[in-house]
Amino acid sequence: MELAAFFPNNNFSLIGVILALPLIGAFINGVWGARLGKPAVRLMALSSVGLSFIASLFAFCALHRASEALGHGEHQGAARLSWLAWEWMHTNGGQFLQTVPVELKFSIDALSGVMMLVVTGVGFLIHLYATSYMANDPGFARFFAYLNLFVFSMLVLILGDNLPVLFIGWEGVGLCSYLLIGFWFDKTENASAGKKAFIANRIGDFGLLCAMFLLASSTGALDWAGIARGAVSLVNPSEGAQIHIWPIANAHYTGWLQFLQPTHPITITAATAVGLALLLGCTGKSAQLPLYVWLPDAMAGPTPVSALIHAATMVTAGVYLICRLSFVFVLSPAVMALVACIGIATALLAASIALVQNDIKKVLAYSTVSQLGFMFLGVGVGAFVAGFFHVFTHAFFKACLFLGAGSVIHAMHSRVHDDVASQDMRNMGGLRKYMPITFWTFVAATAAIIGFPFTSGFFSKDEILFKAFVNHSVSPYKTELAARGVEVWEAPTWFGPMLYTLGVIAATMTAFYMVRALVLTFFGEFRGWSIGRASEAQHGHDLESAEKAGHVHGHGHVHGSEAHDDLTLPGDAPHESPWAITLPLVVLGAAALFAGVLNMAPFHFEPLGHWLDPVFEQALHGSVELRGGAEHAEALMWPLAGGGVAAFFVGTALAYWVYVMRNGEPAHRLATALPRVYRFLVDKWRVDEFYNATIIATTEALATMANAFDKWVVDGILAKLTALIVAGFGSFLRAFQNGVVNTYAAFMVVGGAAIGWFMIVPHPEVVIKAEGAAQMVEATTGPGYTYRWDADGDGLIDDEQFSDRSKVTVQVEPGAKKTIRLEVKNAFGITRSKEIQIAGPDAPAVQMGLANAAQ
Amino acid sequence: MRLRFKWGSQMQHNEIVTDKCSAAGPLQIDYAMLARLIVGLLAIAAIGYVWHDGVPVLLTASVVYAMPKSRPWCVRLGLALIAALVALFVLRMWPSVMAASNVSESASDSCLLSCLIAIPLIAAAVILVVPRSAEKAMRVVTMVTMLALFGLSARLLVPMGRGFHFNQDIVWLARFGIHYHVALDGISLWLVLLTTFTLPIAAYASFGSIHTRIKEWCFSLLLLEAALIGAFVAIDLFLFYVFWELMLIPMYIMIGVWGGSDRIRAAIKFFLYTMFGSVLMLAAILYLAYMYSKLNGTPSFDYFELQRVMLPRNVQIWLWGAFTLSFIIKVPMFPVHTWLPDAHTEAPTAGSVILAAVMLKLGTYGYLRFSMGLFPEASAEFAAVLAGMAVVGGILYGALCAWRQGDVKRLVAYSSVAHLGYVMLGLFAATPASLEGAVLQMVNHGISTGALFLLVGVIYDRRHTRQLSEFGGLAKVMPVYATLFIIATVASIGLPGTNGFIGEFMVITGTYVSHKLGYFNGIQAAGAAVGVILGALYMLTAVQKMFFGPITHAENKSLQDLNGRELLSLAPLVAMIFVMGVAPGIFIDQIRGATSRTLDVYQSRLAAHPGPRYFEGVPHLIARQADAPIAIGTPSGDGATAEKRD
Repeated sequence: MELAAFFPNNNFSLIGVILALPLIGAFINGVWGARLGKPAVRLMALSSVGLSFIASLFAFCALHRASEALGHGEHQGAARLSWLAWEWMHTNGGQFLQTVPVELKFSIDALSGVMMLVVTGVGFLIHLYATSYMANDPGFARFFAYLNLFVFSMLVLILGDNLPVLFIGWEGVGLCSYLLIGFWFDKTENASAGKKAFIANRIGDFGLLCAMFLLASSTGALDWAGIARGAVSLVNPSEGAQIHIWPIANAHYTGWLQFLQPTHPITITAATAVGLALLLGCTGKSAQLPLYVWLPDAMAGPTPVSALIHAATMVTAGVYLICRLSFVFVLSPAVMALVACIGIATALLAASIALVQNDIKKVLAYSTVSQLGFMFLGVGVGAFVAGFFHVFTHAFFKACLFLGAGSVIHAMHSRVHDDVASQDMRNMGGLRKYMPITFWTFVAATAAIIGFPFTSGFFSKDEILFKAFVNHSVSPYKTELAARGVEVWEAPTWFGPMLYTLGVIAATMTAFYMVRALVLTFFGEFRGWSIGRASEAQHGHDLESAEKAGHVHGHGHVHGSEAHDDLTLPGDAPHESPWAITLPLVVLGAAALFAGVLNMAPFHFEPLGHWLDPVFEQALHGSVELRGGAEHAEALMWPLAGGGVAAFFVGTALAYWVYVMRNGEPAHRLATALPRVYRFLVDKWRVDEFYNATIIATTEALATMANAFDKWVVDGILAKLTALIVAGFGSFLRAFQNGVVNTYAAFMVVGGAAIGWFMIVPHPEVVIKAEGAAQMVEATTGPGYTYRWDADGDGLIDDEQFSDRSKVTVQVEPGAKKTIRLEVKNAFGITRSKEIQIAGPDAPAVQMGLANAAQ
Repeated sequence: MRLRFKWGSQMQHNEIVTDKCSAAGPLQIDYAMLARLIVGLLAIAAIGYVWHDGVPVLLTASVVYAMPKSRPWCVRLGLALIAALVALFVLRMWPSVMAASNVSESASDSCLLSCLIAIPLIAAAVILVVPRSAEKAMRVVTMVTMLALFGLSARLLVPMGRGFHFNQDIVWLARFGIHYHVALDGISLWLVLLTTFTLPIAAYASFGSIHTRIKEWCFSLLLLEAALIGAFVAIDLFLFYVFWELMLIPMYIMIGVWGGSDRIRAAIKFFLYTMFGSVLMLAAILYLAYMYSKLNGTPSFDYFELQRVMLPRNVQIWLWGAFTLSFIIKVPMFPVHTWLPDAHTEAPTAGSVILAAVMLKLGTYGYLRFSMGLFPEASAEFAAVLAGMAVVGGILYGALCAWRQGDVKRLVAYSSVAHLGYVMLGLFAATPASLEGAVLQMVNHGISTGALFLLVGVIYDRRHTRQLSEFGGLAKVMPVYATLFIIATVASIGLPGTNGFIGEFMVITGTYVSHKLGYFNGIQAAGAAVGVILGALYMLTAVQKMFFGPITHAENKSLQDLNGRELLSLAPLVAMIFVMGVAPGIFIDQIRGATSRTLDVYQSRLAAHPGPRYFEGVPHLIARQADAPIAIGTPSGDGATAEKRD
């Protein structure tokens, strides 16, 4: 086909088009947006992402054809379409400090192809949604400039062919996230939330930077293929290739610090170090322990942003990176276990917080953190396909949930005119009647996330739980390392079942809090009538803040007229949103229900799995053992799926009982019975407070100390002391310049006497020059100087008389030393002597002058 | 309905401005404008694909067209020219184009460097005879000279390779072996260009805010430019010292006359700190030249001749120390950095820009060229310790101090301490990537910190304060200003895609693989990477305090956004931030040869005299560096002769 001829696999410049379209959109909307007006901005934003999606579809087809061409054999390599823009920069690494090129190169393979479609596809739907949601915002053009820039950055992240190019996208999405969280920057909280997100991400980026220099140094490459080729050197157990942890910088502690000196230096393999550094980066971006704290705060941004960036795409970047560098992670079973532990711990922690939140976006935010924990659990046990499949399904159902929540907030806001109150689920209820499309799509997405059998979430989550139980990570070089006497840490046998059990508990909590949110929002009676009146009356006095609040209003007619004109009347009843909001909901809701068919592991229908197999081929080669063998594991598949289903039933039934049958009364009772536990959960385990009190306080104290040190010690003591010394000298010397002639005369006498004494005494000085094998020693001349020597170094003066012989030639054996002696007598008859040490030709010559007293 | 959506909600006072400068007509022409924009972009891309040289012309036309009509035509044309020049620069300097080009220095170019030094000196003399009342004439003379100089310096852009170019050697004081010897290699190339690029920007920006003693101001600027260029190209150490001291005086005057309230103290502090190092360096230069003349028989101050002097460890350490102290004061490094915040805070905007963008680079350049070039063994011996100081005292300590500043200019000054810590770390690590990264980072810092100081100057001109607590919510009233400030900020914190990242990345990765830092390479690379977090911390805190949140001070509600002059002076810097971020190859390719030559010399000296006691014998002369340019009295090929002792 012509397309294939136009875009060869190794110069697939269509990638350039896919990337350039959102960038052009961002550029035009950012620079000219103010003059273009909303309709044109909308057109630009939608068409750039939409066309990018179409181009991605073409690229995906081309990729499919390329992988068909490679065939489906056992050794099918991963098809890859790549495009080199230009060489970006380079660095040094590898064994011989060779140049490691860093190219602006992009590539599409099976993994990035799927991600690319998700980002542009879901991204387009959310753009469409936002054109309606943000319609009345004064920063409309700015919003879409950021959003397009985000899509561009995310595509760079996904399509980058090496770690630094991925890092462009990685930081780029972080910047867009920062700008979009603080989109309504006139509120300090929003701006602070943006800053918090950026800095938490930066802590992760520190890890990524470390991973880059470790990888460049160990493998001598930074592109995926190069890292894969050199990956084996990461497990090199030899002393030089390991990373020394303690003692720092190979220091040697003695004396009272002896206790710090270990018997053997503590080292880890480069693979573990790289894995830990990458993991830090991933926890930052994917909001995992310990860096997850930014994501709930990030909900300060507009809801489409929460859907696109903080649920569907950006936050999955960490999982994507682990999948992308899976072959590095599997080299260290310890890091794999840590990934799984972080995943399950985050899943449990976030789910427990989500149980008690009342802000609908906060519930969804913690739910996102929790689901990301599941993905980490998946990739951490070596189930890369399952983890990535959860990324895929999560993009649909969580985007749908957020957009649905946005639709609800939008409807609520047009009633209650208060940012906080319109997100509080306690003010909602009964919205099913008013907004049926939003309701049904919300139900579909909820069904998926809680694992309703045969929805997309069911398949992806159960696959993760199943793999968590049966998979056991081992080093792929276990036998080779064992032969060299190196033992690699492996997880204990109870590790898998523990992960599975905790995963089921987290899934139960998921079902509970999601059904709770669904019920509180859509079932029962609407509870927002009273709030609306109160807050409207309050708003009447504060026109400016009402105007500011106008950003969430979707409907001009609600905004301008009723809301402010007649404040005694209640506002409109909540009502369904326009088509630009409901259409994305319907599409995403449908995908949430049915996307599971792409990878139905229990039914052995896994097109996605087969599609991704080549990507993970290297990683899974010998790195995962199945508990009890393959058949045993196979037999466990259905029984273990029971755990997930049970979680769904128990969680749902419990929530139904509490919030529908008993109208929330058991929850209240429990909260009153255990007030401290309840407060603890409402306060989000007080992690923010903990960080504030420890890390942030330490850094602040350090900064204050540094500043004080700079002011008082460096600039105060050091500089002032120097100035004082100089001033002291000045004062001292000033005493001599007192203008009294007598003093001057006295100093002249003293000075003249000193000079005279210098003239009277002879000064035996020599210059040594090499002269062939021998060395010539020449004494300096002076008034009436005569010399005598001990040139042979026997300690006795050679001549009786002083003579004019000012030079002697000394022969010294190579490497040996000889001490000769010179005596000088001047015209006044005063004698001084000097011993000179002369070294042989090869040894360094040391001239040592020992002036002796006069004889 | 005439809507012009600015950042944040529409303020009423802004409405007037908006209406006046709104170029967009009614909404129905929106699509037409969008179509024109897209067609224009596609046309530029398509025409540029087949006809590279057409891009600058097209860019000029389209920028003039696409700028708001409310801006005066000279601003539009100026921006268009800047865009065209940037495009031209990128097209000409593209690595593959440069590699294929047959541009080389012609014989007539041998005095090019001298012209670059002489022209501003002549112009400064001309300024002296212009009547004091003819302020406009003096400004014009200054601007024309500087722009001409910038145009002339574009001729320096020949493929650099390993060697020196535009070599010119004239005997100056024959008796002492002092020559007027200038030459240019890949390291000094970009620093000279940075000087000729930054100075006109600083001068142009300053004409908006400096209204007193124009004559002295223009004179100082021109003198400073000559001294800076001279210091970067001087090969003769005596000549270098002359320029090194010469540039102190105009800067001292600039701070002391046009500075803030505490200017005298700051100027004296600046002068004393720098002078303290300089006199030690002078002593070391004289001693070195004395040693050379003693060993060789004929005196010389030529860099490549003095490089031949092989000194024993105990002597080398002292000489190296004198040079290095002088340079690290200039950089500045902890603990001799405190003159910098004071000087920056009190200096006028243009002074700060020049100081940060160019003058500080003399310290890093000097360390690379002279400390490492003349005393490789001593440099290597102390590299690990000094690298630790660069990381802890520079990158981390500087960043922490910056975080605590309430004055935004002081904050940027401390951020300079942190950024130059990266440069110095790269020099100490001495691997190919870290050296290239360090040289690139010198230029990067000049661009992004120069832009930041200009931006701080903008707000200072409006509010006459730089306290962060006095601002807040400025993004609403000054959207263009806020956008440019955030761009400069992300460049400063090293976001990939902007220039700051490239230098930091190369330095950090280069440091990790270094063998020169004892066993500390890993921890120093990681420490430098921590600086990346702290950089975001202090810059974003400042940005938040200045631009976000509600407007708390009434004075801030009616601030004017950037005017034409400010826009024109910032545009080239912002353009270069992105050019250097996405196509650093343009710069690295020219740097590479010179740094690899420097590194080869360094390595071979270290290999011949391994530590820790490297050399304790009698001073003697070693062979002349193979790539050294021809100088009077040293016929080419002399370097190949065997070691000679006298």
